[in-house]
Amino acid sequence: MSGFEPKVVCFSCKFSWGYLADEASFSSKIKNWIPIICSGKVDAKHVVEAFNRGADGVLILGCPEGECHYQDGNYETKKRVRLLHKVLDSYGIEPERVRIELSLDPEGKRIPELVKSMSATIKKLGPVRQT
Amino acid sequence: MWKTTSDWGAHVEDAIKQMLPPCQIKCPINEDIQRTNVLISLLPENAEAAKDGIIQIGDYLYEKNPFFNICGYICGLCELECNYKTQGGAIRRRLLKRFLSDHYTDYLNQKEKMGNIRDREKVAIMGGGPGGLMCAYILSQRGYQTTIFEASNRLGGALWLIPEYRLPKDVLQTTLDNLVRIVGIDVRFDARIGENGLTLAQLKDDGYKAVFIAKGTPYPRVLTFGTEKVEGQDLSGVMYGLDFLYEVSHGNIEADYFNNKRVVVIGGGNVAFDAARTARRLGGEVTIVALEREDKSHQDGLPADEQEIRAAWEEGLKIICSRGVQKIMGEGGKFRKIECPRCTGVFDESGFNPQFDCDDCVEIEGDILIITIGQAADRVFLQREGLLDERGRLAVDPFTLQSLQNSNVFIGGDVRRVGFMVEAMKEGIEAADSIHRHLRGLHMRWGRKRDYEPMGLPDRTSYKQPTDVVWIPPEKRMHFQLFERGLTLKEAIEEAKRCLTCGPCLSCKACISIGFEKSLYAVEVDEERCSGCGACVYACNYDAARLIQRDDKLVSETDMFRCKSCGMCVAACPSEARTLVDDSTYDRIETTYSSLS
Repeated sequence: MSGFEPKVVCFSCKFSWGYLADEASFSSKIKNWIPIICSGKVDAKHVVEAFNRGADGVLILGCPEGECHYQDGNYETKKRVRLLHKVLDSYGIEPERVRIELSLDPEGKRIPELVKSMSATIKKLGPVRQT
Repeated sequence: MWKTTSDWGAHVEDAIKQMLPPCQIKCPINEDIQRTNVLISLLPENAEAAKDGIIQIGDYLYEKNPFFNICGYICGLCELECNYKTQGGAIRRRLLKRFLSDHYTDYLNQKEKMGNIRDREKVAIMGGGPGGLMCAYILSQRGYQTTIFEASNRLGGALWLIPEYRLPKDVLQTTLDNLVRIVGIDVRFDARIGENGLTLAQLKDDGYKAVFIAKGTPYPRVLTFGTEKVEGQDLSGVMYGLDFLYEVSHGNIEADYFNNKRVVVIGGGNVAFDAARTARRLGGEVTIVALEREDKSHQDGLPADEQEIRAAWEEGLKIICSRGVQKIMGEGGKFRKIECPRCTGVFDESGFNPQFDCDDCVEIEGDILIITIGQAADRVFLQREGLLDERGRLAVDPFTLQSLQNSNVFIGGDVRRVGFMVEAMKEGIEAADSIHRHLRGLHMRWGRKRDYEPMGLPDRTSYKQPTDVVWIPPEKRMHFQLFERGLTLKEAIEEAKRCLTCGPCLSCKACISIGFEKSLYAVEVDEERCSGCGACVYACNYDAARLIQRDDKLVSETDMFRCKSCGMCVAACPSEARTLVDDSTYDRIETTYSSLS
C-alpha cells in the first residue's frame, strides 16, 4: 500500500474560510480545492459522485454554527453528512472519508493542514474498495 | 483590501418597486446598510490590514452619503426597523458607522477630489446645513456650478447645535471642509438673503438658473398657552434653548456658567434634552418640564429619543412629565418660577392641541428658564419673496419641492418641515433631482415614486445578543467629551456578523463586489422533473421557493426578488429539477472531478 496518495476533495465556504487569502495562489497549494459560496450548496450527489470519479475522501469546511450567511446552510450540510455516513457505509465507504468542519479561518491557513491530516487518516484506510 | 474583480461595479440598481431590508426602507436616504454590514463582517481582525477595507467601505458610502460618518454619531433611525429587534436587539448600525467614522474621518483630509467637471448651469443654494449641502453635493457631481449662500460664518447649520458630547466638533468641521473641497462647491459666508441686495431677483440677474432654499429654522418658537403668548419671556434669566446651544457651540459660555443655579428646561424633544444635558454639564441643577407623558409608546409620549431620556436620568436630571406652562413669574425683573397646570392630552384628531386641567397646578422655582419647544422659519423673507400662499403657508409641492409661486425656486429641509438631519438630507437629494429635471426639461414626476416592500425575518434557529453600548458612567461624564465609547475592530466585525442579511441580494451585492460570486444566478426549475414534493420550499430560508399549481400538477417556482442564489434548494431537490443558471461553481466541481482519475 506504500505509495498510495489519497485524493481528498475539499469544499470550503467562502464566507468563513480563506476569504483574506489570495485564491489563485491557494489553488495551486491545495489540490482538489473547491471554494463554494455556502457549505449548504454541497449536494449529497456531489459527495457520492466524488467517490465514483476516484476521490478517496471529501472534506467540507463550513461557517461556525449559528453564523451561516444564508442562515443555516452549514447546519443542513452537517445533517447531510451524518446521513451520508450511513448510506456510504453500506457501500463499504468508511465514515472517516467524509468529514465536515464548522469553524472560522479568514486567512485559510488551516485548509492545507486539515486536508493533510485527513489524507493521513485515509492513507491508513487505503483506497476506496470498489464493490 | 479586496480585489475588486468587478471594480465595485455591483452598485444597487434603482427599481420602481423594490423589496429591501426594513432598515434600508426606514433610512430616509435608503442607505445600502446590509451591503456594508457584510463587508465589515469580512474585515481582517488586524487593524493595519483592515485599514484599506474600511476606507473602501467608507468611499462606497460616501458616494451616496457624504455625511455617513456624522450619522454614526447622531442618527440610527435604521435600527428602529431592524428585523433583529424581535430577537434580542437591532444590529447596532449607528455604532458600526461610528466605527467606520473613527477610521475614515481623518482620511477625508487626503481624499482626492472627485473628477466631476462643473460646466452646467449655475445653481444657488440658500443655507449651508445638511439639506443645502446635500443638494449642492449632488448637483456638483452632476456638473452644475453650485454656490451656497450661508448667512453665518460656518457651514453645517443646526448640526452645530448638537452638543459636543454627542458629536465632536472636529469631526463635524473636517466633514464640512472636505465635502465642499471634494465635490467642488463655492461657498459665500455672511451672505444673508434679504441683505446687501441679495434677493431672488438679483440671483436671477446674476445668472443663477435655479435656487434651492434650505434656510432651516433659525428662530426659536415662543411659549404660548392656548392662543396667548405667555408673558415674562423677556425676564432676565429666561432664554431660548436654540440661542443657548448656539452660544455654547461658539464657545461663548464658561464652563461653570450655571454653577449653583436651578435650571428649568421647558420641552420634551431632543433639542430640549440637548439643552438640559448641556446645562447640567455647565453646573446647573436641571429640571425638564414637558407636556408629554413619560410612556414613550403612548401617542402623547415624550418625543425625545429613548437613549436621550435614559442618559438624562443617569445624569441626575429631574424630568416632570404632563405639565404645561401657563405663567412665568419674576421678581425684580428676574425669573423666579413657572406655574404648571397638568396636561391631560397633547394630540387629538386635529393634531397638536394640548388640553389642561388648571385645577391641578404646581409651581416650579428656578433661577434660569430655558424654553426649547420648537423652531420657526424666517417668515419675513418668505413673505417678501412671495413664496407663501394666501393663508400664509409655504406654497410648495411636497413631492418635487418646487415652489408653486416661482418655478425656478425649490424649498426643502427644516424650513419646510422640521425633522432629523437625514430627513433634511433627503430633501436636498429630492431638490437636486427636481432642479436637474427642471433645467434639463425632463418630466418633474415620472419614475420618481418608489414603493418598497420590507423583507421579513429569515428562518433561523439561533440568535446572538447585540454588542454592549458602553457609556462613560454619569459621574465621570460631566464634560463635553464623547460620552459613548466606539466599537473596537473586533466588536465591529462581531456586530456586523449578526446582521441577518434579510434583504434581497439585488439591493446588496456585497459578495459580487468582492469577487465571491460572479453574478446573482437565476434558479431554473425543470417542470418535467419537478414532482412538487416541496423539499425546496423547506430548504429555502427566504420564502423564495414556492409551490404553484400548473395544469394538473404541483410544481415549484422561485421568486427571484427574494432568492439569494445560495443553492440550498438545488442541493435539497431530490429529482435534480433545480439548477442555478450559469453558475461556474459546478464547472469547477466538474474540472476537479475530471482530474481525479
